[in-house]
Amino acid sequence: MIAMTNPEMNKLVEVLLEGDHAAALAEARRLRAMGIEPERIVTEGLEAAMQRLDDKCTVESFNLLEIMLVGRAVSAVVNELYPEGVPPERGRDTFVIATLEGDVHDLGKNIAKMVLIGKGYRVVDLGKDCPVETLVNAAEREHAHAVLVSGLITPVIPQVRKVRPALAERGLGGIRVVAGGAALKQSSAEALNVDYVAETAFDGALYLDQLVRGAA
Amino acid sequence: MPDLLLRLDDGTRRIPFEPGPSIREILDTTDFRVRSGCRGIGACGLCRVRLIEGESGEPTQNERLHLPPTLLSQGVRLACQVSPHHDMQVEILNPAPPSNWKSPPNAALLHETHSPGTGTKWLPPGVRHPCGVAVDLGTTHLCLSLFDLASGRWLADRWGRNPQQNFGADIVTRLAAAAESPAAAREMSRLVVAAIGESLLDIATREGFDPRRIANVTVAGNTAMLALLSGRNFELLLQPEYWTRPVDCAPLETSGWAAEWQINPVAEVDVLAPLAGFVGSDLLAGLVSTRFIEGAAPALFIDFGTNSEIALWSGEALWVTASAGGPAFESSGISCGAPAEAGAVFRVRLDAAGGVACQIIGDDRAKGLCGSGLVDLIACLLDSGRLTRDGKFAGGETGYAFSAGGTGLTLTKSDVDLMQRAKAAIGVGIQALCGHAGVRLKDLRRVCVGGAFGRYLDVGNAQAIGLLPPVAPEMVELAGNTALAGCCDVMLSSLAAERLDRLRSRARCLNLASVPDFGEAFLENLYLQPLREA
Repeated sequence: MIAMTNPEMNKLVEVLLEGDHAAALAEARRLRAMGIEPERIVTEGLEAAMQRLDDKCTVESFNLLEIMLVGRAVSAVVNELYPEGVPPERGRDTFVIATLEGDVHDLGKNIAKMVLIGKGYRVVDLGKDCPVETLVNAAEREHAHAVLVSGLITPVIPQVRKVRPALAERGLGGIRVVAGGAALKQSSAEALNVDYVAETAFDGALYLDQLVRGAA
Repeated sequence: MPDLLLRLDDGTRRIPFEPGPSIREILDTTDFRVRSGCRGIGACGLCRVRLIEGESGEPTQNERLHLPPTLLSQGVRLACQVSPHHDMQVEILNPAPPSNWKSPPNAALLHETHSPGTGTKWLPPGVRHPCGVAVDLGTTHLCLSLFDLASGRWLADRWGRNPQQNFGADIVTRLAAAAESPAAAREMSRLVVAAIGESLLDIATREGFDPRRIANVTVAGNTAMLALLSGRNFELLLQPEYWTRPVDCAPLETSGWAAEWQINPVAEVDVLAPLAGFVGSDLLAGLVSTRFIEGAAPALFIDFGTNSEIALWSGEALWVTASAGGPAFESSGISCGAPAEAGAVFRVRLDAAGGVACQIIGDDRAKGLCGSGLVDLIACLLDSGRLTRDGKFAGGETGYAFSAGGTGLTLTKSDVDLMQRAKAAIGVGIQALCGHAGVRLKDLRRVCVGGAFGRYLDVGNAQAIGLLPPVAPEMVELAGNTALAGCCDVMLSSLAAERLDRLRSRARCLNLASVPDFGEAFLENLYLQPLREA
């Protein structure tokens, strides 16, 4: 999917990619003051920035700091546009995301969240050190299309394996489980007992795009 | 440094050495050992080499005893009787069979400071000239030191691979394997017990040592390794709530081990208890050997690894934490990386022409950069403006290609990224400990660096990228294998054993999970720049 490039959004895309969150905030406010709807800023600004970042990450190698800076800027803009949180609108798919109990490194999770928000999805973030039960409760409550679990360290693997059975126990066996993060991407989906193991946040987002369109 | 040139079937190896040790001692640190059956005193006559070139001095009386004049005239000598001072070329005539076990370089020097002096421990009766073995049981390597318990005299050192690596390179893979299969758990315990036995056999046969003199074996290690050795409670370590809680790793029965090791049947085996799931007795031993809490001034201790352990002494309180930053310090996962063994680039400097000059460990064939070389190279590129502080190459380059002893190597952006992550984990840990203890970085008066990574570390370069706090360089102590040193102390001295108990009761565990704004602190620490006050 190639996002439409709108000249009005060029500046926003540029400062987002530089990870300059103050400039990104200022630019988002300027666009709002011009009367541009939050929805358009997400789809034409954030999404375009995500696409550019994706291309960049594919060509160059991944630098965590750059991605985190972009993530911080995107989050700042989303918080500015939707101070009450992203509304659960019709047609906008919801994902529940968490770093599971035992893992305090939620950087990977935050990146995945940023990419998905940038793509216009609604993401319910349960934070780090999250018990499996909390994750399952949230998936039920939010009518999640999929749950995403991220893990930087290998001790969290036993927790990841519990997610699918815990969902099935509640009759939520249809909800897909996607895993990502440094520790998890070295394992197979089978070994982790999940539906998909994302190589990067963008790879995971691509899988979810297909899932939402009914292609996965 | 002069070189020992070793002629082999497939060419020549260059082994740099500091003058002093014998040819045998120099070779003992490499994969090319000469056969031996005494402690290098010229008694067994097995360590035959042929001198091809170099100044060797007159044959000793022992050599004349073992080698007929015809052999002497052909340049045949005993490796333990010749101590070269300049370049020398030799050929091994009587090679030792291949072995996992080696001597660390400068072991004797290392242990000079180890005489217990006071507080000699209780010695078991009925053992003639009782000896003790201290074992540092690491995830990757085992290191052992043998001492005479009565005199505190050092006798031998060995190090070799931890054979559990077939069950996984990292701790968690091994713990998971053990938790899933009782047979795997038993096998992992057996492998380590067998490895200790092999190393003792290597000492016994090569040094002419009677293992029945061994009356004590003291083991320190990270909690997972100790739990896998004793076969107890390893499954608890997969549960986060135990990471900051004590885990009992004391073996229930060790008489079988003593029998397998062929040491004295009355020998005691002491497994030094860890502090918590993520803080092992290796860290505690390191704090013992550096007398970490004996000063009044604030001090920091860092044992670098995949899972780095960090301790902070405020002058009144002792805080410890563990921070997992990935394996960059061991150079694992680095595209141009190599373990800190022969062939590793361990030091990098900017040269006059604007390129880099590399120093290689023990061999002239560069295999890659080890942890300290990686730190140096990144600091050099940062200094010369070829790398930005956010980890990008200037001008959008994707990497930096350079030559090390004729081998072409390339540092990629993702290599830099891995080091950024590893050092960010350390930075967050240091800042969190300082925050809890109410110590500012500028108040630190002592920084101890443990582990193999610290051995070749350039303090200035480590500070430039934020790996060590910005204290005066003379306050930084590169302390080497402090875990083994502390284990020796505890084995040899009842005072050191008391220090260990005191440390254990005073240490307070900090879980980085409880640190607010971890993500923000991590992001700040990803920048390649000196560490800042939190």
